[in-house]
Amino acid sequence: MAWRGVIANVCGWLAAICVAGMMLVTVADVALRSLANIPIRGTVEIVELLLTCSFFLALPATFLRDENIVVDVIDRFVGARGVDALKRISAGLAIAILAVMAWQGWIAAQDTLVFGDVTSDLAIPKIYYWAPLLIGFVGAAISALVVILSGSGRGT
Amino acid sequence: MTVAIIGLLGIAGLLLLIFVRVPIALSLAISGLFGYAAIDGWHNALKMVGTVPFTLASAYALSVVPLFILMGAVASRANMARELFEASNAAFSGVRGALANATIGSCALFGAICGSSIATAATFSRVAIPEMRKHGYDPAFAAGCVASAGTLDVLIPPSVLLAIYAIVAEQSLPKLYAAAFIPGFVLAGLYVVAVLVVAKLRPAWVPTVPGIGLGARLRASLGMWKLGVLFFFAVFGIYLGWFSPTEAAAIAAFVAILIGFATRQMGWRELGQALLETAFTTAAIFFIVVGAFIFSRFIVLTRAPVEITQFVANADLGWVWVLLAVTALYLVLGTFLDEVSMILISVPVTLPLVVQIGYDGIWFGIFVTVMCTIGLISPPTGMTVFVIQAQHPEIPVERIYLGTLPFLAADFVLVVLLVALPITVSWLPDVLRMN
Repeated sequence: MAWRGVIANVCGWLAAICVAGMMLVTVADVALRSLANIPIRGTVEIVELLLTCSFFLALPATFLRDENIVVDVIDRFVGARGVDALKRISAGLAIAILAVMAWQGWIAAQDTLVFGDVTSDLAIPKIYYWAPLLIGFVGAAISALVVILSGSGRGT
Repeated sequence: MTVAIIGLLGIAGLLLLIFVRVPIALSLAISGLFGYAAIDGWHNALKMVGTVPFTLASAYALSVVPLFILMGAVASRANMARELFEASNAAFSGVRGALANATIGSCALFGAICGSSIATAATFSRVAIPEMRKHGYDPAFAAGCVASAGTLDVLIPPSVLLAIYAIVAEQSLPKLYAAAFIPGFVLAGLYVVAVLVVAKLRPAWVPTVPGIGLGARLRASLGMWKLGVLFFFAVFGIYLGWFSPTEAAAIAAFVAILIGFATRQMGWRELGQALLETAFTTAAIFFIVVGAFIFSRFIVLTRAPVEITQFVANADLGWVWVLLAVTALYLVLGTFLDEVSMILISVPVTLPLVVQIGYDGIWFGIFVTVMCTIGLISPPTGMTVFVIQAQHPEIPVERIYLGTLPFLAADFVLVVLLVALPITVSWLPDVLRMN
C-alpha cells in the first residue's frame, strides 16, 4: 500500500533531518571551537535532543516497513500463512509492549512537566525530550495495528 | 519460585519468542518486563520500562552510532568501493590470488568506514565476484571470499558494533578502537594467508591474473585517498586528541559528504537516500538496544552474572574450560542471532565470567567481536552469505558456505591468538598510554 510507504518516508525524513542536524551542530561546534575558540553552548544537549527525535520519530517506520530484526528460521516449517499469522501475533505483542512503554513514559513525562525540569546549559524543558518518545511509541503502536489489519507489507 | 528459576524461565521465554519470529527487540522487552515483575513486582517493573527508553535515547554516547552509520551510507553511495577495489587490485596484481586479496584489502578498509557487514558484502558482491569469475576463479571460493571479507568491518575501527559493546559493557570506546586495530588487521592478514593456502592446494580455484605496470599501479592506488581521508578523521582524529568519538563520527560523515559532492560522485538525491537509510537503520538498532537494556535490568536482578561467576569460582574450573564454554555459547548464538543482538543479550552475563578468569572488558570486547564475525558466516543463518546468494542465485548457498571454510579457519586462528597472546589486544592501548 502506497500510503504506508509515504507515512514511513515522512517519519524517516523527520528523523533524517535530525541526524543531519546532529552532524551539522557537532561539526559547527568543533570548527568554531578550533578556529575561533567559540564553542557552541549546550551542543551536547542539542545533540541529545536530536538523537531522541531521530530515533523515536523513525520508530513507526520500522514497523510500517517491516524492518524489525527477526530470526526467521521457523519460516520454512510453517509456510506462508503461518508466517503471516506469526507476524500478526508479533504485531499484537508489539502494540501491548509499546502501549505500556507509552503509558509509563507519559507518567514519567508528567513528573518532569510538573516539576519544571530543564537541562543545565540551555534550560531546555525536559518535556521536549519526552515528547518524541511518546509520539514514537504511540506511532509505532498504531503502525503495528496497521500490520495486523493489513499484513506486514512485505510479501506476507 | 526462586530467583534463579525465574532467571532461567526468562531466558527460555526469550529464546522461545525469538524462535517464533517475534522481533528480537520485542522479545527482549517482553521477557525482561515479565521477569522483572516476577522478582520485584509490577509497580517497579512498569516504572523501569517507562524510564529505560528515555535514559538510553537521550544518552550522548549513543549519538556516535547514527553518525558512523551515516558516514558509511554516504561512502557506499559515492562510488568509493569500486575505486578502492581497483586500487587494491593494482597493488596485488601479478600475485596468485591477487583479486581475492584485493577483495580482502578493499573490504577491510571499506567495511571499516561503511560499518555494515551486509552493505560491504552487498557492495563487493557486485564489484568483486563478477571480476573474479571473469578471471576463472571458482564461484564458490569467490563468493566465500566476499562473504568472509565483508565481516571485517565489525572488528576494524571505527566499528559500530564496538561502539554498541562499549555502551553495554561500559568500556572506553577509544580504548576499544585502539585494541581492535591489531587484531583487525591481523585477521585481514590471516584471510590473505588463507587465500595463499587455497591457491597452493587448489590452484585451479585461484588463477594468476597478469600483472600491470608500475605507473598503472600508482595511478590506481590514488583511488584510495578518499577512504584514507575518512579513516584519518574517523580514527586518528580521536587518538590525536582532536575529537571525541561522537565528534570524529560527525566530522567524518561531513567530510564524506564533501568528498562525494566535490568529486561529483554524489548529488542531493543520493545524500537524501543516505540520510534516510541512516534513520531507518538507527531506529531498528536502537529498538533492540532498548529491549536489551530492559532485559539486562532483569538479568541483573536475578543476580545471574554474580551467581554464575561464583559458581565458576567455587567449581574451580580452569580458565580454558570457561573460555571454551563462552566460545561454544557464541558459536551457538551466532547460528541464529545477528551480531548486535548477540552482544546485547549475552555480554551482561558473559563479561563478569571472563573478568573472573583474568581477562578485562577491553579484551573481551575484541574476543566477542571476532566471535560475531564467525556468526556472520556460520550456517544456517550466515547473514553475509545470504546477501551474496540473493545477488548471485546461480551459486548454491551450501557452495558459498564451503567457500567460507578457509576464512572460518582463519577466524579460529585469531581466536586462539587472542587467547594465547592477549598482548595483541592490549599492546596498542598501552603504547598510547590509554590506561
